[in-house]
Amino acid sequence: MKLLGALLILIAGTLIGFQQAARFADRPKQIRQLSHSLQRLETEIGYGHTPLPEALLRTAEASSEPVASLFGGTAERLSMADGLTFQQCWEQSIKRGWNETSMKASEQGVLLRLGSTLGISDKEDQMKHLRMALLQLQAEEDAAKDDQRRYEKMWKSLGALLAVLIIILML
Amino acid sequence: MLSHVSHLLPLELKRLLEGLPAEVKGSLEEIRIRENRPLEIAYRGGFRFVTPDGTMKLDAIGAVKPSPEQCRKLLERITNYSLYAMEEELRRGYITVSGGHRIGLAGRTILDGGVVRGIRDIGGFNIRIAREVIGAASHLLPKLMDAGRGTIGSTLILAPPQQGKTTLVRDIARMLSYGNSGPLEHLSFPGKKVGIVDERSEIAACVRGIPTFDIGPRTDVMDACPKAEGMMMLLRSMSPEVLVVDEIGRPEDADAIREASHAGVSVVATAHAYDVQDAKGRPELARLIAEGTFAHLVELRRSPDGILHRITNTGSAAQQPSARGKDQTSVFGALGLAGAGRGRAGDT
Repeated sequence: MKLLGALLILIAGTLIGFQQAARFADRPKQIRQLSHSLQRLETEIGYGHTPLPEALLRTAEASSEPVASLFGGTAERLSMADGLTFQQCWEQSIKRGWNETSMKASEQGVLLRLGSTLGISDKEDQMKHLRMALLQLQAEEDAAKDDQRRYEKMWKSLGALLAVLIIILML
Repeated sequence: MLSHVSHLLPLELKRLLEGLPAEVKGSLEEIRIRENRPLEIAYRGGFRFVTPDGTMKLDAIGAVKPSPEQCRKLLERITNYSLYAMEEELRRGYITVSGGHRIGLAGRTILDGGVVRGIRDIGGFNIRIAREVIGAASHLLPKLMDAGRGTIGSTLILAPPQQGKTTLVRDIARMLSYGNSGPLEHLSFPGKKVGIVDERSEIAACVRGIPTFDIGPRTDVMDACPKAEGMMMLLRSMSPEVLVVDEIGRPEDADAIREASHAGVSVVATAHAYDVQDAKGRPELARLIAEGTFAHLVELRRSPDGILHRITNTGSAAQQPSARGKDQTSVFGALGLAGAGRGRAGDT
């Protein structure tokens, strides 16, 4: 009986450790995806002159989850006639979808700042803001990779080790 | 008609205007929204300010003042959240939305080498509600037909803004395109190939190249195209029998019209001018009139009873073999708009 309990704790600890490690591994990947999506948006705006709702939908189609729903959600909110500004739609969609991602508050900040400028100025200005957001995301991605190197392996073993510690303490 | 444009308005203004009397909503022509200044509506040729409780007053004291946030929402709606895709429109100073409604913009302009590149800090909007009046030209068109050639004689329609010029040419295009049908039974002619150059997207109100107004089955539209180039393109590519253009006045427009009339194509054009005398004060129009390019000059005048028109036949030999003597004018005749009430149009 004791053995079974210990085994359960060990499995749970290991899984928690792996999950934490996966968050560190996913973050740079998702930031990368987000950058690709913003580049896509930049192309739609800068060269295609695509209206923003359509540009967002196309960006969502070209992206994979969970990043896609950030853009798709905004386009969906825009099409509802409830009198919200673009910025409000963008903020709602990002805050709602953020829990599905492994990204942190600093990336969210970059996107929210971008939302206050999208669609309300001329093409050059839009491109400038998008490039700025891309640069900031690049910096976040580097930091996230650093974190990944440092903490991913640690969490993988830490989960199992902590579980062992708990088992020892309980014995 | 308020219902045509209410989806563009911010929620608060939409509710307010929807509370106006049905009669006013039905005859609404313009909604003028200026940031932090009184909300104005124009209907039946008059104007009123709107108060927060939905009453209308002639003086501006106590009227609703649209907030900067409401103006921003309005701008986002009319530009489809994409100001960057509207550079051409901002340079011209107006945006045409689905349904042919034109929204004039005023604000601080951006200059680029002395040329206006666009408007920023937009603080004034004028929503002009376009109206399709089927049959608007049914009384006028028979008088413009050239019986010998079986087509319409080249016609220049002159009127100040807001008199229904665009509504009239739209209906002329529609009736010519359909040919002999309905009210024209005594004047039989087959449908004509009509080409419309719609620089401001007001005649046909195209959305993605497809007209949203009924302009007839044989009509081709060059949308959002500069008039002179559009006329030449249509002449070359679509072999029109009648060309319809709005608001001519530049030298290149005149050249294209000459080109068309030499090719045997009838031109129906409009121009801003109070009357024929006024039009002769504009060099390009004066030259076109003197050359006899137009067989008919039509003046429009709006009166409380409806829109009146007066036709002047210039009787040039080239256009009208049965010359009738210059400046033979008839009195203003009522443009009886059957079923259209008093035949106002919210656009020019």
